[in-house]
Amino acid sequence: MSELKAEQELVEDVKKQLGDKIVDTKIQRAKRVYIRVKAGDHRDVIKYLKEKWDAYHVSTITGVDLGENIELLYHLFAYRGNVTVTVRTEVPKSDPKIQTIVDIIPGATLYEREVHDLLGVVFEGHPELERLILPDDWPEGVYPLRKEYKLEVEEVEEVKEEGEA
Amino acid sequence: MGILDRMVKWARIRSPWILHFNTGGCNACDIEVLAVLTPRFDVERFGILLKGSPRHADVLVVTGPVTRQVAKRLKRIYYQMPEPKFVMAVGACAVSGGVFRGAYNVHMGLDQVLPVDVYVPGCPPKPEAIIDGVVKLLKKLEEGG
Amino acid sequence: MSEERMFRIPVGPQHPALKEPINFTFIVDGERVVDVKPRIGYNHRGIEKLMESKTYIQGLYLIERICGICSAAHQGCYAQNIEEAAGIEAPPRGVYLRTLIWELERIHSHLLWVGVAYHEIGFDTLFMYVWRDRERVMDILEMISGNRVNYAMNTIGGVRRDVTPEIVDNALKALDYLEERTKYYKKVTEEDDSILARTVNVGILKTEDAKRLCAVGPTARASGLKVDVRRDDPYGAYDELDFDVVVYDTCDLTARVLVRIDEVLESIKMCRQILQNLPSGPVRVKFKRKVPEGESISKVEAPRGEDLHYVKANGTEKPERYKVRAPTLANIPSVCEMLKGGYIADIPIVFAGIDPCIACTDRMLFIDVNTERKWMWTEEELRMYARKWYKKHLKEVVRERWKC
Repeated sequence: MSELKAEQELVEDVKKQLGDKIVDTKIQRAKRVYIRVKAGDHRDVIKYLKEKWDAYHVSTITGVDLGENIELLYHLFAYRGNVTVTVRTEVPKSDPKIQTIVDIIPGATLYEREVHDLLGVVFEGHPELERLILPDDWPEGVYPLRKEYKLEVEEVEEVKEEGEA
Repeated sequence: MGILDRMVKWARIRSPWILHFNTGGCNACDIEVLAVLTPRFDVERFGILLKGSPRHADVLVVTGPVTRQVAKRLKRIYYQMPEPKFVMAVGACAVSGGVFRGAYNVHMGLDQVLPVDVYVPGCPPKPEAIIDGVVKLLKKLEEGG
Repeated sequence: MSEERMFRIPVGPQHPALKEPINFTFIVDGERVVDVKPRIGYNHRGIEKLMESKTYIQGLYLIERICGICSAAHQGCYAQNIEEAAGIEAPPRGVYLRTLIWELERIHSHLLWVGVAYHEIGFDTLFMYVWRDRERVMDILEMISGNRVNYAMNTIGGVRRDVTPEIVDNALKALDYLEERTKYYKKVTEEDDSILARTVNVGILKTEDAKRLCAVGPTARASGLKVDVRRDDPYGAYDELDFDVVVYDTCDLTARVLVRIDEVLESIKMCRQILQNLPSGPVRVKFKRKVPEGESISKVEAPRGEDLHYVKANGTEKPERYKVRAPTLANIPSVCEMLKGGYIADIPIVFAGIDPCIACTDRMLFIDVNTERKWMWTEEELRMYARKWYKKHLKEVVRERWKC
């Protein structure tokens, strides 16, 4: 398993430094590492990765509806070792709140807003958590990427002459 | 038909100015519409000119499946165009919603929102198909106008 | 910010290409931009949700239509993602052909962009020239895949069509022509005063800012960041190809144009290598419609930058969750940074600098901080304003810029 040297080194380093905060780790294949943490600890882990492993690039944040919980995956890229590190954590769907990482990685601003729009996760401390991609007339409290939201055929309005707008 | 009417009709057929609007499509139709305007296909030889303002346009060329956010703006643009006005739906999405049919944020086709004169199917339609659509529209103008 | 005060209007020939039309609010002080706020979503169609109701094979066709310009990048990314999750591997010839389409697409996309950039600065002759030459690469793509745009070339387990020796010959000839023309455009961009006057030291994005705001693709590489998924996280046939990652460190628009022109030359080089060394054998393997429970991340260097797909499979024919992050979204914070402190007249070209698909469709709202006057411009009006303004102020602005 000599090809996975950088990956193993990363996992061991993170475990050693932040042992109590790491719930679980997985090396899926070369360049793909997953680290599971408790909500709240993700900030420390991301900060550590950024400082020690040059993981200053967050590709995106994925939100997944697991039923009871919403899982958040922070896809980072560690330029030291060229590894895609995914930090994953869960928040309860009944109270989906998590601390923002915008102060650590400013590039995450729009990704947090996107997850907020589509899954209703509140990122505490985000400077402007406003609507980003849903239409202006989208109802409050409806989150299309949650499993309870089902696609249906939409009723369409007739064309009416409103006169010159 | 008076001489003035005949002149107006002649002018309209010889120089239909178009307005291009993407209502949430994937850009494939848009780059093909653009290709129609650039040297290889060059519809300017038919007097067709792309305009930036709805108030100058005769024909509204719409691509994309009409997202919810864009529908109101689209109607507004349509009402801003002077009469007589014509609408072309370019691409499968504008014709029927295409591959996005059933998604939560789109209307299913342009004719759910505006009256359409010419449909150009294809995903995306080839530039030749778009030119064919334009020619059909011109014929319609000649017969009906 | 209040949405009622702005609306979008349809605007024309420059459709610079990508997923999201955007609405920006500009706060300006005289001629200078003070702050920029983005609002996207005009183009939001809900693809990620719709993916959950499609089978993996149907998903191929939906994912391709995220963006018509980098359709192969998305579709190829999707295909290799599902292949990894399903535990199958595309045969070498299939992988090579997939990579060929990726690189041809990069040529077409970058040339399209270069043309649009010239148009934005009012150099329409060159715009028409570039688009005429771009038709040659469209011909190759049509020859190989049967379609000019949205090639539907990839499938899970390989590619759908094979190439014949005649196609290879024709493609090589067209590549020679393209190489010669691209070199000419590079020369024009480097030497022509009217282009330099509008691009040198315009829309600066410093290396630290690019790093901080997670810029991707040519935008990052023009700011001196050597990032490229093809090199950092090799996929497809890239670890077997010889290519350079193009980096410029002047951090301005000239760099962004030159990065893309140089990348076209690199892509031509790669296409030649692929066409001359095509492995023999089948182009695809069979895919059994179900994917076992699991997850996978796939990354591709699309023409505009890193494209990331994530799939969570649940053992059925349909994905549990499919996530796509297209490159333009990643570059929006960067473009806001570039616009700050610049002139209003530079907005169209700086926007176009990240190769987005926004400027053309939305009206922009301007607020003058001194007088609180508010007004809106369409992209076309703004471009006209830019040209007039530059006629008047060209000398002083260029003197000021070239001094530093």
